[in-house]
Order: sequence, then structure tokens, then C-alpha cells
Amino acid sequence: MRRALLGAVAAALCAAATAAAAPPSQDVVLPGPVPYPTPNPPLAGKTAITGGFTRYVFHIRNNERVLVGVDETGSPSSVRVRQRLDVGGRGDYQFAISAPIEDVLRGPGSDSEPGLRADQVLWAGFSPGRKVLAADVTLRPGDAAQYLPVRLGLEHTGDGVTLTVTNATVTPEFEYAGTTRQRQIASLLDRTRRFARAGERLIAGYATFYGRVRQRAQKAQIEAPLRVEGELRAGSGKPVRFSRMLGDGEPLALQVHARGEGTPHVMLTAKPVPVERLLRPPGSAPTWTVAVKRRTLPGPFLLERLLQSRMRLVRADQYQTFLANPDADGRSRSVYVYETAKAPRQQAAAVPSGDDEGGGPLVILLAIGGAIVAAGAGLVAWAHS
Amino acid sequence: MRRGLFLLVGLALLAAGCGKSSSSSDLGKLTVAVDVPVTGSPYVAQTIRQGLELATANLNAGGGVRAGEKSYRIDVKLYDNHLSARQAVENARRALDTNAIAIVTDGTGVNATWQIAEREGVPICITYDGGSGLVDAETRPNVFRIAPTNHGIAFRYAEYLIPKKLKVALLSDDSAYGSEGAADLERAFSENPEAVATKLTLPAGQSDLTPQILRVKRSGATALLVWGQPPTIAAVLSAARSSGWDVPVYAPPTGADPFIRQQLADHPEWVDGLTFASGRMTAEVGTAPFESFQSQYESTYGADKVGVKTSAGEPVIQPPEFAMYAYDFAHVLTAAIIRAASTDPKKITAALNQVTTQGANGDERGFNEHNHEGVVDDDVYFARFHDMTFAPVPDDPLSSTLPVIPQTG
Repeated sequence: MRRALLGAVAAALCAAATAAAAPPSQDVVLPGPVPYPTPNPPLAGKTAITGGFTRYVFHIRNNERVLVGVDETGSPSSVRVRQRLDVGGRGDYQFAISAPIEDVLRGPGSDSEPGLRADQVLWAGFSPGRKVLAADVTLRPGDAAQYLPVRLGLEHTGDGVTLTVTNATVTPEFEYAGTTRQRQIASLLDRTRRFARAGERLIAGYATFYGRVRQRAQKAQIEAPLRVEGELRAGSGKPVRFSRMLGDGEPLALQVHARGEGTPHVMLTAKPVPVERLLRPPGSAPTWTVAVKRRTLPGPFLLERLLQSRMRLVRADQYQTFLANPDADGRSRSVYVYETAKAPRQQAAAVPSGDDEGGGPLVILLAIGGAIVAAGAGLVAWAHS
Repeated sequence: MRRGLFLLVGLALLAAGCGKSSSSSDLGKLTVAVDVPVTGSPYVAQTIRQGLELATANLNAGGGVRAGEKSYRIDVKLYDNHLSARQAVENARRALDTNAIAIVTDGTGVNATWQIAEREGVPICITYDGGSGLVDAETRPNVFRIAPTNHGIAFRYAEYLIPKKLKVALLSDDSAYGSEGAADLERAFSENPEAVATKLTLPAGQSDLTPQILRVKRSGATALLVWGQPPTIAAVLSAARSSGWDVPVYAPPTGADPFIRQQLADHPEWVDGLTFASGRMTAEVGTAPFESFQSQYESTYGADKVGVKTSAGEPVIQPPEFAMYAYDFAHVLTAAIIRAASTDPKKITAALNQVTTQGANGDERGFNEHNHEGVVDDDVYFARFHDMTFAPVPDDPLSSTLPVIPQTG
């Protein structure tokens, strides 16, 4: 009995000594679901929102189709958003959505009419349980285009036209480094992967660091992975189709060349998508947990993969909301559609063509000339009167 | 010493007087014209005027409204349009001559007055007539409305009645109000013709509508939706009930007019079941804001007595619904003056599109660049009479959330 007691005391002392020798640990918050690394998107207008509110009774699903008109060089010339808010919940609502807004019209299927204030779309009314609020919002391209996820460049080359598509969502972010437990990070990677595969927003998570937690000197370059699909045509030439991932470990830009002469036409959709490739476990393992059991993976590699994947998921989530969702916790999905805008009609096109009315360039020139002569004659007559 | 004391007292009194006269003279004066049918529809005229005056009196008592560097008191100038568009035009001209910064009206003559006011940039606010076409933010940028719209009421009725599988007779009288309502009902029910038993125009002002109601009954109607002046609704009820036809009767906001209950005071049971649509008087925040407004209104002007009693002998009073709209406009106008930081009517009109205030019922009140309606269609509710007072109906999602406003006292 006495020996047993002595043994227990010794064991306790030994444990205490081990604990004292172990480096201190701390739980560090992982990226996601918020904050977003940059203030926009969602877009914000120049006027402050007052009076707009969303009470907890409303759950809002937000779907957006961002229509970007581009000119012959690929620069945005117009930005319109068709936003559909599926409001669930019963009660009074008043929402204000801020953005650089030029105009707003009721969208198809809307149960209500949107209001417009300086840089705000207003919705107000009563929801009996379900309500669809849809609006076609025209944005000021100068203010909105800088927050688009993709940048296009169209260039005429020798035998056709070359399109460059660049992922424009890249942003630098701070990243932690330190000593972690391989197993925990692998488990966190698996959890993050499950969220990504389900297309769900991340939930908050923690990783335990042992010893000093450092900030890497060099910021990580984080992008929202984008699935880009489209078609490029030069004049009446053969269209070239493309479908590529920009980001998630793939290159951040792509080039497409289409042969032909004439005005280039591009039609492209870009969708922010969850990280997939970077969250794939190495060695064809079914999970990261299995992968680290099979062989040792470097701690810094695992941690970096976890942090950067989560940052990318947050960035992708940010681009799902180009115009704000009044329900910050609500699900948002955005698709960005780029298309070359039709060239503005030339003045001459407005003039009746052919010889139906006796019109034509010569007649117009003669008419203008006649008018000038008549005006001159009138001026002379007035001066002598 | 004594002379010095007198001097000090004298100086103090002078200083006090100067201060008072100086602050009083610093306060500028702004005029809001209220153009209502004092002799054509006294109840409507009185409630609008009193709502407006109550709001401006409160504002003036609090030091007026600040526009830029200076504060102003708001005076209300009353004009009687006699329900005549010609008189309304004359009144609008006179109001503009007195530099009115806004015109509040029941809606009479707005089709003619808005252009006159627009030349000076002066806003007009309608606080009673819900006629479609009176307000259009694009073509009539200076016309605003805080009142339920005919369009909203008609569509809410279609939404409410069609699922009940009733055969509705759409009745309207031949007044301007009736014809405008008939057009909106036509549009609202156009996609469900099977829900309409018949459509009939009734002569406004005729007290005996027995032949017309008999015809409607023969058409197979199982409900009557009557869009007309209060006397028409009273006559329809009278004709139907006196013939023993217990058909449900639905009406626009005129269904709540005290005139109907006064007219049918000898047969209170004939009023029972009459349902009307109007803008809700309470918001989701509860009854407290409206009750506070009602209490202030009644302590200033007295309750609007209907002139009938409940079966328990309690006198029935009319809640100040339309007074609330005029009251709310005064507050939105004040917010616009502050935002514009100017008394220039053009700037105030522009600012009216950008401001929101809390209405007397606790709801948000405001306009925007695309919509000059201060009461959205969603705010239209239905109430049904029983024992000379009304209560929100239980079978409509919005109405069922609303409390009963006390109407006796």
C-alpha cells in the first residue's frame, strides 16, 4: 500500500515535470468564414445605409448573374446585375443594398417593386412566409469594374485575335507559421475538404500551436479559384471553345487564340468555386488523416496547405456576393458573364437606306450644304436690314 | 449704489428682451398649403388638416426645422377645393403665390395642379386618393402619396378573394373614385375571369339600389366587391340586407367611412360582416406608436366620433388613419428640408427621394427615385365590421398579425 502510494506520488511529480518542460500551447483561429481579406465585394455605394435592417426572422438566398459588357480591347463597358433574393420568414422587411448604382428595374419573377435611392436599392414590405425580390441593377462601370473577378484582354495578332483571361482576385494575406501536431492539421484539412466538397461556407476552426507563433515574412498570394468557360471568335472565323480553372494550384491566367478577320466576339462565364485540387490528399490517400498515417508529411507543408486552402475558400465565398445579401449568413451564389458589347450604331445607320425616300449620303451632304448657304444668306440679309 | 442697481436691472431686462426678440426674428417662416374638400367631404378635410397641423405644431414647438444655417417654423395654410378640380387649380396658384414649399391634398385636381406646382419645383403630397395614374415618379416627379393605392388594394383583393372560390360581383359607382377603382379591379381580376360573376356600374348618390342588387344576385354572385363613395356602399348594404341576402360585401377604404355606419345606425346588423381594405395602422413593432399618436391627436382635437354606439352603448370613435398620413408627410418633408439644407422647393423635392423617417405607426416612411408611394401594396390589410367597430380579418397573412385598434370611448 505504502509502496503504491509512493509510486503514485512519483508518477505525479514526473508528469508535472514533463508538463513544465513542454512548450506552451495556444489555440489559433483559422481563416474563415469571415472576415474577407478586402472590403469589396460585396460592392458599396457612396451613401451610408440608414434604416435598412434585416431581422433574424429572415433567411435569404441570394442568386446573382453579373453581366459584363466588354469592348474590343476586353475592357468592361457596362456592368449589370440580375439579383434574386428568395426571402424566407414572415414579417415586415426593409432592406437596402448599397452599390455604385445607376438604375434599377424590377426583375423577372419579383413579387415586389425595387426602390432606388442614391447608390441604394430599397426593398420594403411584408413577407407572408416566402417572397421573391428580383431586380435588374445597372452599375456605374467605372466604379464597379475594379471588383470583377476576371480581367480580359483582347489583342489582334497576325492571323486573328488573342484573348487573355486573368484571375483578378489575387490578394496578399498574412499567414501563420509554427509547430503544430500533424494529426490535428490533417484532421482539419479533412474537415475543410468536406466543407469545400459540399459547397458550404466554412465554420470557424482552431489549430493548436506549440511554442512561438510566427507570422511569415512573405505574404501568401491568395486567389478565389474560378471556373472559366467560354468561346472566342474572330469575325466570321471558327469559334474556339475553352474551359479552364484559374487558381486552386492551376495557372492564374489563360490565353486563347482564334483565327479570322473582323471584330472579335467573346462570351465567357466565370464562377467562383471551392478549392478542390489543393485539398486533395497526397499519394491517392482517401483522407489527409490516412495520408499522414502512411507516411510523415512535413509539418510546415500541412499547415501552409490548411491555411492557404481556407483563405482561398474565404476569397471564393467573398466573390459569391457581388451585390450584398441583406442576410449576412444567407447563402449567395454569383455567376459572372462577360460578353463583347455590340458596337454602337453609327449615325448613318439611322438614315433610311436605299432609294425609297430619295435619301442617301449625297442628299444629306447637299441638304447640309443648302442649309449652310441659306443660313449665310439669312445672316447677310439680317445685317443689311 | 441704488442708481447702479437700477441700471444693472434695467440692462438685464433689456438684454433678456433683446434675446427673446432676436431669437424670434431669427426664425424664418415656411408655408405648407393644405388643399382639401372642406365643404365637399368635411371628415376627410378635417382629418388631413389636423394631422398636418399636429405634426407642424410639434416641430415648431421644438424650435422649427433647420435648413442650412437657419431655422424655420412651418405654417399651415388651408384651402378648400370643394372637391372641384377647377378650384384646386385656383388654390394651387394662390398657394404658389404665397411661396408655399409644399402642397398637401386629398387628391382633388392633382391631374391639373401637378404641372403648375412643378414649374416652381413644389412637391404635392396626396394623403387620401389612391387613384392610379395620379402618382408617377417618372412623369410627375413632384407628386408623392402617402395613402393606400387603388392598384395595391385591387390586387390585394384579388389575392385574398380568388382562393376563396367566390363568384365576385365587381360593382363600382359612376363617380371618378368609382371609375378609377373599377379600372384597377378589372386589371387585378383579368387573369381569373372565372372568379368574376358580373361587373356593374351603379349610379352614385342613389339611395335605392334594389333593382341593381337583384340583378347581381341573379348573376350567381356569392360576394360583392363595391368600389364607390360611402353612400353607394351604404345603399348596396341596405338593398342586399333588406332583401334578406346575406352576401359578404367587400369595399375599399371608403368602407370605413363613418357615413356608412351613420346611415345604417338603425340596422347595425347590416354593417356586420362588411369588410374593407386599407393601409394598416400599426406596424410590426406593435400598437404603442399608433396609440401614442392617436392619444396626442385626440387630446389636441378630440376623438373623431362616428356618431353611433356599440350594442353595449359605448360611443364609437374613428381612429385617425388619414390624419396619420398627413402627419407622416410633414415629417418626411422636414427630413427633406434638413437634407437639402435649403428652402428651395426644387431641392426639397429632390431630397424627398432620399429620406426615410419613422411614421406615426412606427413603420418606416419615405419615397425613392422610382417610387413616390409612401404606402406599399404589402401594407394593405383587410378589416371586418362587427358591432359597429372593425377588426383585422384572421384569414389573411398580414391582417392576422395585426392587433385591434380600440374604437370606443
